[in-house]
Amino acid sequence: MRSGYFRILPALLTALCGALLSSPAPAADPQRVVSLGGPITEIVYALGAGDRLVGADASSIYPAAAEKLPKVGYYRGFAVEGVIGLQPQLVLASDQAGPPAAMAQLQKLGIPVVVLSAEPTLEGLEQRLEGVAKALGLGNAGHEQVARIRAEVSRLTQTRSKQSVLLLSAHSGKLQAAGEGTAADALLRLTGARNLFADKGYKPLSAEAAAALQPEVIVTTTLSVEANGGIKGFLAQPGIAVTPAARNGRLVVMDDLLLLGFGPRLPEALRELQAGLAARP
Amino acid sequence: MLHAESLACARGERVVLRDISLTLTPGKLLGVLGANGAGKTSLLATLAGEIPAHGGSLQLDGRALHAYSTAELARRRAVLPQSPSLSFDLGVREVVAMGAYPFGNLPASRLETLIARVLALADATVLSTRRYLALSGGEQQRVQFARVLLQTLAARAEDEYRVLMLDEPTASLDPRHQVQLLQGVARIAREEGVASLLVLHDVNLAAQWCDRLMLLTRGACVAQGTPREVLTPENLETVYGLPAQVIPHPAQADTPLVLFASRVEA
Amino acid sequence: MRSPSPALAVPAAPRARRRPSPLQLLLILCLLLAALALASASSGAVRIPLAHLADLWRTPADPQAAFWRNVLLEVRLPRVVFAIVVGSGLAISGAVMQALFRNPLAEPGLIGVSLGGALGAVGAIVLGAQSLAIIAPAAFVGSLLATGAAYRLGTVQPGVANLLLAGVAINAICASVIGVFTYQATDVQLRNLTFWNMGSLAGANWSMLAWLTPWVLLLSILLIRDWRALNALLLGEREAQHLGFALRRLRHRIVILCALLVGPLVAVAGTISFIGLVVPHLVRLTQGADHRWLLPITLAGGALVMTLADWLARMIVMPAELPIGIITAFIGGPFLLWLLTRRQG
Repeated sequence: MRSGYFRILPALLTALCGALLSSPAPAADPQRVVSLGGPITEIVYALGAGDRLVGADASSIYPAAAEKLPKVGYYRGFAVEGVIGLQPQLVLASDQAGPPAAMAQLQKLGIPVVVLSAEPTLEGLEQRLEGVAKALGLGNAGHEQVARIRAEVSRLTQTRSKQSVLLLSAHSGKLQAAGEGTAADALLRLTGARNLFADKGYKPLSAEAAAALQPEVIVTTTLSVEANGGIKGFLAQPGIAVTPAARNGRLVVMDDLLLLGFGPRLPEALRELQAGLAARP
Repeated sequence: MLHAESLACARGERVVLRDISLTLTPGKLLGVLGANGAGKTSLLATLAGEIPAHGGSLQLDGRALHAYSTAELARRRAVLPQSPSLSFDLGVREVVAMGAYPFGNLPASRLETLIARVLALADATVLSTRRYLALSGGEQQRVQFARVLLQTLAARAEDEYRVLMLDEPTASLDPRHQVQLLQGVARIAREEGVASLLVLHDVNLAAQWCDRLMLLTRGACVAQGTPREVLTPENLETVYGLPAQVIPHPAQADTPLVLFASRVEA
Repeated sequence: MRSPSPALAVPAAPRARRRPSPLQLLLILCLLLAALALASASSGAVRIPLAHLADLWRTPADPQAAFWRNVLLEVRLPRVVFAIVVGSGLAISGAVMQALFRNPLAEPGLIGVSLGGALGAVGAIVLGAQSLAIIAPAAFVGSLLATGAAYRLGTVQPGVANLLLAGVAINAICASVIGVFTYQATDVQLRNLTFWNMGSLAGANWSMLAWLTPWVLLLSILLIRDWRALNALLLGEREAQHLGFALRRLRHRIVILCALLVGPLVAVAGTISFIGLVVPHLVRLTQGADHRWLLPITLAGGALVMTLADWLARMIVMPAELPIGIITAFIGGPFLLWLLTRRQG
């Protein structure tokens, strides 16, 4: 160990002296972009700039073209050298991306990083859209999208739903309910329906608690249903089986990123959720 | 000298030793005999400073034993407990060299000489290049014996008082090595003036090699003295609960030979 | 340990093995480590023309050279050094714990010390701590409590099983309390927890290494200085006392030193298992259990195995990375099974 320590000392000193900390200004019109976070990737494609992406994180699964991008790991624990190796002129990162040390290293290396809020609100979405458009030098493209989304959402939200709903995900076999502050909850609020789960964030939910909440409708994601052997299997889970939702077959299944992304497809998501809530078995 | 006066000791509520007085004289072997559970091992542990005495006095060179630090004690007395268990892979020399640990950094050449000497005394010279775990039980015991011999002899000043305590050291040895071990103890007692305490099971081996014997029953001393004085049929029956005959040793003058009854009375 | 994939280096039957001298082995390992560190530092997602390494410094103004220089100095080197520091620290703590418990299966991960540290770290994060200056000491306290508990519970009866069962219990308790903390956490805390939980070497940076490296070095030296006491402990607790080592003090010191070592390592790198089990074992197989040499060689060996694991983690799914814990568990899991069956036989 001693030898190892002395061996790095010179490098350490050089590093300390040579550390450049100036925050770089992004190029006006960056052509090589890495996106960290599925919703961000989706925004880049929505703005018609998908061809500029040279890499993305593992959660970037929409649109289909995004799946073909080189992946640098999950955005909450991305591989910093993987990003650097793609020689990006710009990194677009969700504020949930990390670890912080990796983010700091990108900055230190002079790679422009634009961090975007992941907040699941209309305002948050607008910030993301405009932030990405600005960083990509796309001028008004962001505004246009925002205006379109605003108009559609305000039209859609004139229909109000009154059902009591449970938002569930069950990726690893364990039920998790989405509460206040989650993207799914924010989407549900726009429909007017009531989220039965009052706690904050995603929390594990026992079978008994699911039964006790007596939801009229259960909303979940495609991956959760797949992980539980299809719709039948999902509804047959203990606790869920005895809810009014399961008895009446009121299960709304939505694409993961659509339900949880709070991205440019928000009107689409809203429409789909509303349709699901309104459907009669 | 190690000197105990009216020593008493308890483990929890149970009194394991009462009113024991003894002195470990330089150059002499004191053998401790007794039935299972008579307190032999407790006596050794108390004298070694491992468990505290609850009554009486216990002094080493005029100073209370408990006033010595663990490290100081280790430089004055060596202990070989019953059936040491070492399950890690060490070389025989490494095990033996541990006897020098209490003395810090000995010069390498002195240490080598000492190791060679104690290995010879323990008849373990041929084992010196082996791995400890590859040895038989009896061989391991000899190596451990060499280790405590080293601790007894290392960095010893001329006429410095040292104590060697052995708890049933012959238990896993064949007759030849039993004799060899006791011969080794007797030899360093004679040559170096080391005082020794041996807990033994074999009465005749004890009679043959120890200068003095102490008989223990239920934590108390039944008799103490030379083998001839102590090994009487009455004492032996008190201690072991088994009738015994004591006859003169056919080959060794002045040494009694004990023959126990061949069956236990119902 | 000469084989680059140590888990496969099954020793020959117990016939007399020719052992390299300890100094030779240490030297070989250090050379291997240097070579491996060099290989690891010269490969990655960014292609750096290392053949012209010197040129990178000769042209300070060239932006491309500056970029390569920075990747090398800011990304790769800290990562390699971090692997060396974490690997050696975990390995030596494993070796020392095995002596303390007189049990070859004692390992920070298996007996709950790592998860205890994790509990401390998670608790600190959930209570609002952001800086390592608070998280690391909290992890130390967690490790200390877990080590103490493992010692109390695991030495009630002698034998491997008891200690492992104690470890199972301690791990279960820590995991459940971590679960409760996670449940209570706010979004921001959860985010910090997620980063922390990823348990990898991605957090490498010089400002952290500037204290971690001397810290691990210092504690390693303190532990190596205790080699006699650790050897004596192998003989048995009574025997160690007879040899002049005050048992209570010695135990306390070693438990505290180990927790001081493991706690901060867990705080910065998460729980990385099996290094502390595999490396000391392999060293004992080649070199025996004499701590005078076992500990320094284990340091080098731990650094070597960790550097190798990190290298693989970075290369296998490039440009992404595998969590390093997957690699160490992949090596360590089968190794543990092999050990268990061997002990039964």
